[in-house]
Amino acid sequence: MVALVIGLALFFDFTNGFHDTANAMATPIATGAIKPKTAVTLAAVLNLVGAFLSTEVAKTVSGGIIREGSDGVQITPDIIFAGLMGAILWNMITWLKGLPSSSSHALFGGLIGAAIAGIGFNSVNLETLLQKVILPAVFAPLIAGLVAYLCTRLAYALTSRHDPDTGSKLTQKRGGFRTGQIFTSSLVALAHGTNDAQKTMGIITLVLISAGTQAPGSGPQFWVITACAVAIAVGTYAGGWRIIRTMGSGLTEVKPAQGFAAETSTASAILASSHLGFALSTTQVASGSVIGSGMGRKGTTVRWNMVGKIALGWLFTLPAAGIVGALTALLVKTGVVGVVIAAVAGTAAVLFMFVYSRQSSVGHHNAVEVEEAGQTVRFAKKKALARARAKAHRQKDAATADQHKDAATADQQEDAQR
Amino acid sequence: MKWLELLTVAGTTLVSAVTVVVLYSLGVRLTAIAGDAEQASPRAKRYFAYTCFGLCGLAVLFGLYLIIPYFSK
Repeated sequence: MVALVIGLALFFDFTNGFHDTANAMATPIATGAIKPKTAVTLAAVLNLVGAFLSTEVAKTVSGGIIREGSDGVQITPDIIFAGLMGAILWNMITWLKGLPSSSSHALFGGLIGAAIAGIGFNSVNLETLLQKVILPAVFAPLIAGLVAYLCTRLAYALTSRHDPDTGSKLTQKRGGFRTGQIFTSSLVALAHGTNDAQKTMGIITLVLISAGTQAPGSGPQFWVITACAVAIAVGTYAGGWRIIRTMGSGLTEVKPAQGFAAETSTASAILASSHLGFALSTTQVASGSVIGSGMGRKGTTVRWNMVGKIALGWLFTLPAAGIVGALTALLVKTGVVGVVIAAVAGTAAVLFMFVYSRQSSVGHHNAVEVEEAGQTVRFAKKKALARARAKAHRQKDAATADQHKDAATADQQEDAQR
Repeated sequence: MKWLELLTVAGTTLVSAVTVVVLYSLGVRLTAIAGDAEQASPRAKRYFAYTCFGLCGLAVLFGLYLIIPYFSK
């Protein structure tokens, strides 16, 4: 049973990785800062590094929501097995729908459902639940969105340049933000590694402790850290292209300066929250940032019905994963046969969703076709602009005022593109 | 309820994100100015731009230094 749970936990880590690639890499892919394949490789490596950097989060994971220890109930590997099952299935469903939803909430939901079904309603600490899950879920997108909004406004205000005499726009070189995006998105990937890989480490440690193979209160063992780091890195490399599409082009059109602002806010929010003791969900922070930065740029529209879909997904995360967790817990309670049935049913469901996803494949080649189309248009315009300028040079006798006007409108077009 | 922690997190996020974005944006702006055709001292502007990018990088590294437990021990 312990081995089964550890295997399942590592698979959860894998789904977590590929579910959350989008958080770090959707915006740089969408602006063309990094090529899709390179982006997922970079994210995978940084997740691996991040997982080793800090194990502080692992020690506190899921602690308190289910009353554990001597005065509470004993959490068993069975409950964890059921909880993980709920979390994995919900992760797969949201991935299939292309919805960015919090993997940690799915995990909490699954565990809570399993604990209620397996032990009883009093096993759940409602106050901790409110404090650790529900409040952060409300504030994470708000904080991140607000900060990203302000940063986007700032970035655009600081780089906007007008000729003091004529009032026409000058070159702004906002493409320079693309280079910055490589670093900020790397930071998000690193933050994800320090944050999310820890959750699985915490779970496996919890299983080992409850099975009596590890002393209570001790940190994760080295092989656990390594296994989790590798699992999340492989998951990240596999890439959840469906969610990358949603985050990169489904919510709002992302331009380099905007992507830079969004990523900076995401990275700061995640790193600040996980180290100041108020854990926020990576996915919710990242989605909030993208929406906020979309509101901060003039002339962009945020696709609110997509935002609504995502919000609805967040609302359902906890109960849906909880129900699957509870059902699995009931099955597991019946004995070995129940465990086998649950394992087989879970594997079958995951396989079915994988096969179903093949019908409309979304991969690195077509995840963000929208922006690629936009880029070719811009390149064409730049070429046209250069041609127009060369022409103007040749016809030196042409009225200079006309030429100014030409360049100004072309520049304006270029700005509108950004 | 941990309202104080929530405020700290919000404040830290705001301060760090704004620092990085402002420094980088200044760098971008200075690069653009240095690239202008009629420009008195493009080289100085370019150095200023690099200084901004450098400071931005330092701010990020300082943040990481604060976070990674290996250094704070």
